[in-house]
Amino acid sequence: MTTPLGQGITPAELPRDRAPAPDSAPLDAATIRAMVDGEQGWIDRRIFWDPQVYALEMERIFARCWIFVAHDSQIPEVGDFVTTYVGEDAVIVARARDRRVHAFINSCSHRGNRVCFAEAGSARRFTCNFHGWSYALDGSLSGVTAEELYKDNPSFDRSKLGLHNARVESYGGMHFACFDPEAPSLADYLGDFRWYLDVLLDNDEGGIEFTDGNIKSRLKCNWKFPAENFVGDAYHATWTHSSALQALFGGAPTMKADRSFQVNANGHGWEFGLDFIGNAATLCEPEIVDYLRENEAKFAERLGKMRSRMVASLSSATVFPNLSFLAGHNTFRTWNPKGPSETELHTWVFLNRNAPDSLREKYRRGVMLTFSPAGIFEMDDGENFEHCTASNAGVVTRRRKLHTGLGLGSEVDHPELKGHVHRNQVNEANHRAFYQRWSDLMTAPRWSDVPAR
Amino acid sequence: MSGIEGNAGAARVDRDLAFEIEQFLYREARLLDAERYDEWLAMMAPDIHYWMPGIQARYRADRSDVLSRTRMAFFDDDLDYLTKRVDRAKQTTAWAEDPPTRHFHMVGNVEVEATALPNEWVVHSLVHNLRHRNETEEQTLTARRQDLVRRDGTGALKLARRLIRLQQTVLQAKNINTFL
Repeated sequence: MTTPLGQGITPAELPRDRAPAPDSAPLDAATIRAMVDGEQGWIDRRIFWDPQVYALEMERIFARCWIFVAHDSQIPEVGDFVTTYVGEDAVIVARARDRRVHAFINSCSHRGNRVCFAEAGSARRFTCNFHGWSYALDGSLSGVTAEELYKDNPSFDRSKLGLHNARVESYGGMHFACFDPEAPSLADYLGDFRWYLDVLLDNDEGGIEFTDGNIKSRLKCNWKFPAENFVGDAYHATWTHSSALQALFGGAPTMKADRSFQVNANGHGWEFGLDFIGNAATLCEPEIVDYLRENEAKFAERLGKMRSRMVASLSSATVFPNLSFLAGHNTFRTWNPKGPSETELHTWVFLNRNAPDSLREKYRRGVMLTFSPAGIFEMDDGENFEHCTASNAGVVTRRRKLHTGLGLGSEVDHPELKGHVHRNQVNEANHRAFYQRWSDLMTAPRWSDVPAR
Repeated sequence: MSGIEGNAGAARVDRDLAFEIEQFLYREARLLDAERYDEWLAMMAPDIHYWMPGIQARYRADRSDVLSRTRMAFFDDDLDYLTKRVDRAKQTTAWAEDPPTRHFHMVGNVEVEATALPNEWVVHSLVHNLRHRNETEEQTLTARRQDLVRRDGTGALKLARRLIRLQQTVLQAKNINTFL
C-alpha cells in the first residue's frame, strides 16, 4: 500500500469481498480509495469510526468544500448575525455595512477566545471578553484596548489581525462559506445540481424565506449516516417510518419505480417521485396541499412540467457534504460533525416568500410534528444512525464491508433530467455517488486533483 | 399564554387544593413513566396548548422575545397533535420504542397560584426527566414548567396550558420520545 496520495488504484482492481485494511494501515490514498467502492457499493466501516479518517475529513472535506451557513432571510439587516459551524470551526455569519454577507472564524486573533456567544442577534461589532479587542461586521479588527501599547511595535499590523474570513457565495439566497482559496466557485461546485435546487429556491418569483429560529440537537452518530440517508435512502422510508405512516394514514405510500428517480451531480443527490405532493401530505395540513395544487400551473410555467412535479413530492436530498432537505416538508438541515461519533443537527423551516402568511404557521408546526427531534418520523431515524455508528466499535465487526449495492445498472439517459439519472427512487445510486465524491476529495491533495462527477 | 407567567402577589391557595394539584402532577408523571398515554391524554382539557419552544442563547441586550410563538418549537401542540404522537408511540412498528425506554419523570418545586377564575390555577413546577435505553444510553432533560390547571364541569382537574422551558439550547439527545 504505497501508492502516493492522489494516484489510487481503481475499484476494478479490488476483489469485492476483500477484507478492509486494518486500522493500523497508514492512511494513504490507496487505503482510502479501497474504503469506498463507488461502482459496486462496498463501504469500509472504518470511515464511520476511525479518528484519523475523521481528522482528514475535517481538512479535506469541511475545510475545502462550500458549506451552507445561512439563508439571506435570517440576516436581512446590517448588523444581523448568526453563529454556526464549518466542520468543527465556529463561524460568525453577519451582514456588514456593505450589505454583503461575510463569514469568519469566531476566535480572537489575540488569545483565541470566542468573540460571539449568542447564536443569533444584531450587533455593531464583536468584542472579545478577554482583552476587549473588537471586530467589525466584516471580520476586520476595529478596536484594540489601549492601542498605544503597540505603538512602534513592528509585529502589530491591524490589517493582518482581522478574523479569518471565508469566501462567501450564494445561490438562490442560500449563503455558503468556503475556506479554500483554490476551491471552484459555488456555481461550479453545485454544477448541474443548481437546476434541481431551483425546484425549491425558484418555483416562485419571490423565492424562499426561512422561518424564525431553528432547532439544534445532538446525535451520537457519524455525520455521514444522516447525510447519506437524505442523499438517497427512499428504501428506509416505509420500514423505519412505518409507525408514523400507520398512525397518520393507516399505511405507507407507494413509490412507483417507473415514476421516480435518483439524480446526482458532484456528489450532491436527490431521490424523488413525480407525485408532486407526497411529502407535503404528511404534514397533515390541508391548507398546504391546497396552496400547492392552486399553484401547480405556475410552478410548471417556471420549471417545466417535470420539475414542477418535484416541488413537494416524496423525496429527500443532500448537497455534499452536509446540507440536507426535504421538498414538501420544507425543511433544510445541516449535519455538523462533532467527532467521529457525534453530530449536531440544525433544523430550519422555509416557505415561499409569496405564500399566504397563514402557511408560515402550518409549515412550522408541520415540520415540528414530523421532522424535528420530537417529530414522529425523525424519532426513529436517530436510533438507526446512532447504532449504525456504535456497532463499529468492534474490530471484527469492521472486518466486513457494508453493502450499498441497490439499483446497480439503473442509470439511464434521460432527455430532460440533468446529471446522472437513475430510474426508481428506491435505489442506492446516490449513496455510491456521495461516497465516490468523498473518496475523490479525501485522496486529492488539491482541488485541481478532484474530478468532476 | 397570558397569565401563565404567574401573578405577583397572587393569593395563596389553601393546603387541600395545593395537595390535590400536586397529586395531579405526580399521577401525570407516573402515567408517562408507564407509557399509559391514553390515560395521560384524558388528563388534558379539550383546548390544551402544550408548548415546548426552542430556546436560543441570545445576549441580554437583545430585545427580541425569549419565547416566541413564531419561532421553531419541539412541541406546539393541540389535542389533535398530541393524539397523533401517542398514536405513533402505540404502533408495534415504533422501532425506537422497542425494547421500551425506561422513563423517569421527577416533579418538584410545585407552586400553586390563584387566578381571576375560581376554577383555574397557575402552577409552577420543575421536571427532571431521565431516559434509559438499551445497554447504557442515558439522557437527561430538565425543564421549568408553567401550567394552567382547570377544574372542569365534572369536578375533575385538567391540564389546559403547559409551557415547558427546556434548559438546553442544543438538545443533548437524538429525540424526545416522551412528554415533559
